[in-house]
Amino acid sequence: MSKNILIMGVGGQGLVLATEIVANAAMLAGLQVKTNDVIGLSQRGGMVWGSIRYGEVVHSANVPIGKGDVLLGMEPLEALRGSRLLKEGATIILNTEEVYPSPVIQEQAQYPREEIAALKDKFKVIEVNAKEEAKAAGNIKTANTVQLGILAAVLDDIKKETFLEAVVSFVPEKAVEANKKAFERGYQIGKGK
Amino acid sequence: MQKRVMTGNEAIARGFWEAGGMVAASYPGSPTVELMEALFEYDDIYSEFSVNEKVALEVAIGASFYGARAMASMKHVGINIAMDPLMTFTQIKTNGGFLLMVGDDAGMSSSQNEQDSRVLAQFANMFVLNPGNSQEAKDYTKLGLALSEEYNTPAMLLMASRACHSRSIVELEDRVEVPAKGFSYDDGRYTMLPPFTIKAQQAMKDRIARLEEYAYGAEINHLEEVDDKEVLLIAPGMIYDNLKELDLKVSIYKPGMVFPISIKKMEELSKKYKRIIVIEELMPIIENQLKLAGIPCEGKEIFSFTGELLTEDIFNGLLKAGVVQGDKMPGRENPVVPRPPMFCAGCPHRPVFDVLKKAKVTVIGDIGCYTLSVLPDIAGSHTSLSMGATVGITKGMAKAKRLSGDDSPTVSVIGDGTFFHSGMTGFLNLLHNVDEEDNMTFLILNNSATSMTGGQANASSGLYNNVDDIQVHIEELLKVMGHDKVQLVDQFDYKSLKEAIAKATKEKGINIIITTRPCALKYKIKEPNFYVDPEICIACRTCVKTNCPPIHMKKYEGIDKEKSSIDPDMCVGCSVCSQVCPVGAIKRREEK
Repeated sequence: MSKNILIMGVGGQGLVLATEIVANAAMLAGLQVKTNDVIGLSQRGGMVWGSIRYGEVVHSANVPIGKGDVLLGMEPLEALRGSRLLKEGATIILNTEEVYPSPVIQEQAQYPREEIAALKDKFKVIEVNAKEEAKAAGNIKTANTVQLGILAAVLDDIKKETFLEAVVSFVPEKAVEANKKAFERGYQIGKGK
Repeated sequence: MQKRVMTGNEAIARGFWEAGGMVAASYPGSPTVELMEALFEYDDIYSEFSVNEKVALEVAIGASFYGARAMASMKHVGINIAMDPLMTFTQIKTNGGFLLMVGDDAGMSSSQNEQDSRVLAQFANMFVLNPGNSQEAKDYTKLGLALSEEYNTPAMLLMASRACHSRSIVELEDRVEVPAKGFSYDDGRYTMLPPFTIKAQQAMKDRIARLEEYAYGAEINHLEEVDDKEVLLIAPGMIYDNLKELDLKVSIYKPGMVFPISIKKMEELSKKYKRIIVIEELMPIIENQLKLAGIPCEGKEIFSFTGELLTEDIFNGLLKAGVVQGDKMPGRENPVVPRPPMFCAGCPHRPVFDVLKKAKVTVIGDIGCYTLSVLPDIAGSHTSLSMGATVGITKGMAKAKRLSGDDSPTVSVIGDGTFFHSGMTGFLNLLHNVDEEDNMTFLILNNSATSMTGGQANASSGLYNNVDDIQVHIEELLKVMGHDKVQLVDQFDYKSLKEAIAKATKEKGINIIITTRPCALKYKIKEPNFYVDPEICIACRTCVKTNCPPIHMKKYEGIDKEKSSIDPDMCVGCSVCSQVCPVGAIKRREEK
């Protein structure tokens, strides 16, 4: 059995790097891991998604429909989009900062706030304003690390220290302390403290 | 052994380095861009993004002629550009190991078509290796180079788009130096014209036959069998992993080499199994190899000829074939509001297409970020075909308009990367049979980078920074060619841009406007941002229609009607919205 993680967001949010960090955490934990992400066109403000699967054996890098365990939603609408791949009772880490897609900007569609709010009925939703938490931790640029800290708290098969080691290996040396703080802040949120 | 999580692209770069690779060249195109970017990190290798795929292939060919291990990488449509040298190069007995890495894009996540590169490999008489994960990507890179030298043939390394970007764990090995053998030209080996080429035809045929013999026992062509001999599934590359996800008790043949397939092996298996089903994306390449040899099999009557074959597609196909039982699996269609790509905040293309949309002229587009202007929310250009095509198409359309008594202007847009890639020759061709009555306007959107693929350098990038080396002034180049109506316009001065386009489209002849603002993603704008004064805003939505990420309509307290607003965190301060606002409601903040 593999653990299936989805990361959903908008181009420019640093999703690809987040996917890479989680993959490295899984490798450091001695597990097999595969990831997938779609970039390219999506870099220009389009949707971006990443999937990470780890465990003893991993075949496809794609999370099968209805098998997702955890979703890291860097943007609410994208979290809603990805929720379709989740199993019932899965956990959603929901960054509350909205980024409007073109059809909403052009008033051809509504931003689906009610459907996003209803995610709570089916899933365990951990809401976070990552930017605010990052600011509180001392560095606004660590918003993704806050979210990864929450993810680390939710995942029970990769040790916190291992996860942090992966995070640290991807940040510039001068930002290590700030990221450690942000990670810890996220971890505490994830543990419900 | 040391292990690392790597993308398919990174693993190929590593494999090329480990295999003693010496020279590599590419032209940026998704999904292959990160391969060359990863190669730049290896000091033992000379690597470059060339001006286009044809030149990239030729650079790699030169190294191979000298007996060095070489690689060219490109996206599937890139091979079309490189096809001329490729078709003749494959006739030559390869000297230094040669790998053509190609990224295909079934499902077109970032391409204009989904042509199957295996067709071109067959056409060019090259064998094809098809890895499904990063470890295989590295291993097959090394194997491809070794086979290339052993069989004196170029190899194709075919990667699915997802395989290029997908990460998995790779075991690292050391580099083995492979010295270049040198260039010896005494046997007519590199002189491709008759009588030498007549012999070459037979040599190519023999080579593929010998590779087919190799395929019979090759380890990369992997067979896993169960007791039940009802059906054998053939599943190459990533399709194998997608199939394994279903956990079926069924025999699977996974060919690491998808062309040529060992017919001898298939004949043996055909005797053993009642049914053979080929699961392959796009064209029936493996299926047709079997059918041509008289081996009964099924394939494209079950599986789609277009798009990817994900686990659910494979299950549904096998359901149709009666191999599995159960209910049809749902697809990945998603009813949630879509999020199509859009120009970045501060993108220098935004004002250009805003003006063009309002000018209501025919706009012949090209390939680059500005291709996004064909999307309905921008609707600023009306064609999109292939790299550099806009110049020739514009000329042809203008000529047809003249002969039809239509004197409307034809406007062409092309980026700097595309201009250097294959637009330059079109501009030269414009000077042939010039007719002053033709009405053509060319907008060269020079943003200093090949932006759609991530801001790689091109031949004018050196003018904008001190990292990139080539410093070609497009306007000087065009003037040297013989174009006399060339002007530079700062498109963030909206009024000047609008006037320049209006004047150029009214005036007959060949008018060229070069815009000067660089890519907002590569050269970030850091100006104080803008805000909307809701008391002044008349809710006309002129700013909203520029389709800028931070601008949207919003409810303000104490005001009935929704008014425009600008997200201060996203606005970079380009000022375009404030210039299109008819009532001056959009103002710049004092400080950011």
